[in-house]
Amino acid sequence: MNKELEHSFVELLEKHQNIVHKVCRLYTNNYDAHNDLFQEITIQLWKAYPKFRGDSKFSTWMYRVGLNTAITLYRKSKRTINTQDFEGVEFKIKSEDYDDTEEQQLKILYKAVHELNDIEKALVFLYLEDKDYREISETLGISEVNARVKMNRVKTKLKTILNP
Amino acid sequence: MDELDILKKDWNKANTDYKKLSVKDIYPLLQKKSSSIVKTLFYISIAELMFWILINSIPYFYSDEYRQKLEIIYSNEYVLTGITFLTYGIILLFIYLLYNSYKSISVTDNAKNLMKSIIKTRNIIKCYVIYNLVIAGVSLIFGFYHALNNDPNIASQIENFSSKELAIAYAIMIICTVIFILIVYLFYKIIYGFLLKRLNKNYNELEKLEV
Repeated sequence: MNKELEHSFVELLEKHQNIVHKVCRLYTNNYDAHNDLFQEITIQLWKAYPKFRGDSKFSTWMYRVGLNTAITLYRKSKRTINTQDFEGVEFKIKSEDYDDTEEQQLKILYKAVHELNDIEKALVFLYLEDKDYREISETLGISEVNARVKMNRVKTKLKTILNP
Repeated sequence: MDELDILKKDWNKANTDYKKLSVKDIYPLLQKKSSSIVKTLFYISIAELMFWILINSIPYFYSDEYRQKLEIIYSNEYVLTGITFLTYGIILLFIYLLYNSYKSISVTDNAKNLMKSIIKTRNIIKCYVIYNLVIAGVSLIFGFYHALNNDPNIASQIENFSSKELAIAYAIMIICTVIFILIVYLFYKIIYGFLLKRLNKNYNELEKLEV
């Protein structure tokens, strides 16, 4: 691979690295695992980069490679701890405590998202990134209708986790 | 406002909990080796190919006794040549199928297709393993049978066997072969089960959505 290609790739990745960090944030729950996944996504992006033709935006292309790596290709390292061990606030709080401070509410929400399975996390990720259902369905390889149905189920599931 | 909308508000501003990498930090990452399941699967398939090629070839080239026995069994040399060609032909066919299958795996595909192509590759390796196990099983039974009937030492020993004892000898021979094949098969099940457990789970989840 020539230096020019390498340079353009590194510059683009540096600019859009937040996307990769966000994928890692959702699929890992400790510093080492985050770095491992970040590294694997970077390698997969770099390997696929020569075929990136620029038909889509670099960031859109990154979503797909990032999620595919996290869901399918990445072999969880030994350092990845189980989501059950996630350090956060006490999970099963009483529902009347739910409207506590915003920070606590967010912690609970993030923890609840970590409880979801890999596919549900992918849906949540794309939703949080403001992707429409067409793009969500294309990224995951499911129909648009099913993407909507699943998204609604995920929302209900989150509600149930938060208000047991 | 539902839960995800509350999260969405925070999602884009919460960038402070990880280290922002500089261009200098990113360059070394490109030199690192991937540890993806596709790479592991690739190494396993190479190991499978080599293992079974060696198992089939080494005894023939390193043991005169084995070669002589084979040549006696296949007294017609055309049969032996034909079988050798067929064996290596099948190996080449598997190499070709695996190569094509690996080429079809693309990280830029959608998640479901990517999983499908990995599962397809794994199935080709599985077929190769099953093919070799069947051949090993048939060879073992054939070898035992041939030894019982043609080996002078064994033949003199079983000469005095009653038909019941002979039936027991055959039964033991078949059971040993089945146990051998089962052990090897379970070994593969564990390896692939461990490697592809998560992928299978996610693939089933996507499949379930389309039902």
